[in-house]
Amino acid sequence: MRPGWPTVAALLVAMFLQASIAPHLAVFGVVPNLFLLVVVTLALVEGPVPGAFAGFTAGVLLDMLGTSVIGPWALVLCVVGYVAGTLNANMFAEGWLLPITVAFMASLLAELSYGLLLAVLGVGGPFVVTLTHIVVPATVYNTALAVLVYPWLARLLRQDPGMTEFRRMA
Amino acid sequence: MKTPTAETRKGSPVLLAVLVVMSLVMTSVYFREGDGGPLHTARRGVLFVTSPFAVVGNAVAMPFNSVGRWFSGFTVSRSELDTLRAQNDQMRKAAAQQEEQRQENVRLRAILKLPDEFKTSSIGARVIGRPTDSWEGSILIDRGSADGVKAGTPVVAAQGLLGQVVVSTTHSSEVRLITDQSAGVAVLVQATRATGIVHGSVEGNLTLDYVAMDAKHPLKVGDVLLTSGMGGAYPKGLVVGDVRKVTPDAAGLFPHVELSSRVPIGDIEEVLVLTGSQPSQLVGGVE
Repeated sequence: MRPGWPTVAALLVAMFLQASIAPHLAVFGVVPNLFLLVVVTLALVEGPVPGAFAGFTAGVLLDMLGTSVIGPWALVLCVVGYVAGTLNANMFAEGWLLPITVAFMASLLAELSYGLLLAVLGVGGPFVVTLTHIVVPATVYNTALAVLVYPWLARLLRQDPGMTEFRRMA
Repeated sequence: MKTPTAETRKGSPVLLAVLVVMSLVMTSVYFREGDGGPLHTARRGVLFVTSPFAVVGNAVAMPFNSVGRWFSGFTVSRSELDTLRAQNDQMRKAAAQQEEQRQENVRLRAILKLPDEFKTSSIGARVIGRPTDSWEGSILIDRGSADGVKAGTPVVAAQGLLGQVVVSTTHSSEVRLITDQSAGVAVLVQATRATGIVHGSVEGNLTLDYVAMDAKHPLKVGDVLLTSGMGGAYPKGLVVGDVRKVTPDAAGLFPHVELSSRVPIGDIEEVLVLTGSQPSQLVGGVE
């Protein structure tokens, strides 16, 4: 499997936006995870293997942008990319409800798993506090952004030229 | 219309397992390697590449932030204004008394030939980046190794201690805030001289741990906490925060103490980097 230029470009743009714009879009300390949106979209349009590769790469970059341990985001996002990619066969180009539901579940899984990994590594917080202050707000925020971003990002990342039509949200 | 299938659309559990193992190996290597290891070096490289974009993002967001702060000023009520005026009067009185004590302190130090605890060289820096994900408690500043900033260097604001540099490139550095969940600061209570450790948390609050309850000098709401100088990371005497709530723990040895930092971390724009102080090792323990 060879990554296409749109995939590489999307990951690089996500890195620069995560470092520059995303911190200023924080709501009550919750920063949108643009890497997650790219990984989920790529997994849904390309499948589990590209999803896992993109997730791993995005995770390493996200780990390196921060100050904490390097590795947990790579682990979480490669699993999320793989799992989201397994739903690829059930995706319809015209649909929007399933991708957004997947984005919600993926975000919940990613934030929750990352919090648990930090707790295992000794730098996490109490479960309830983590859930109410970060996991749930971040999931809602990421899903709201997915509603806006997914159709356009999926159109960019889809390498099959025949799959370009998306029905507008009802 | 259904998505066409392709070879890459099939799952590969072996590949997933390999990537998971690689992630775990990276985590293990990160903990074992030193500051000059490949992962730490790669992180500095990523910071070097992305910090100009953080500057651009900060410049784009600044007008919006200023407008937001201007509008938030409209919400100050009459009672809040009265409270602030009363506080201002008290602080003027306290400042006058402290100036008198400072001058006396200078004279006595000169007589006793005591070294000045706060005599460290420092350099001003602008905040050019905010936390890049929800789990981070860090900021990016526009000073780096070219200005003498190293990993471990303390960073303060006008109101008190802010954090410590963890990654430094030529012209930028990442500062871990004291409110980060992995930060810890050795402190002492100004009034009672009891020592303890201040920890951050995932929600950005500060707690004081391992401070013994003394019947003669109990910990009170409003008590000021200063860096103790133990651990070697921070100079002694920097303001860390004020006690906000004390809850005795009947089952434990130490009370549960919540603090509030005086530094408006979300709005901070300029900081002071204490380049003259001795950087500490950033491997575990209290910084």
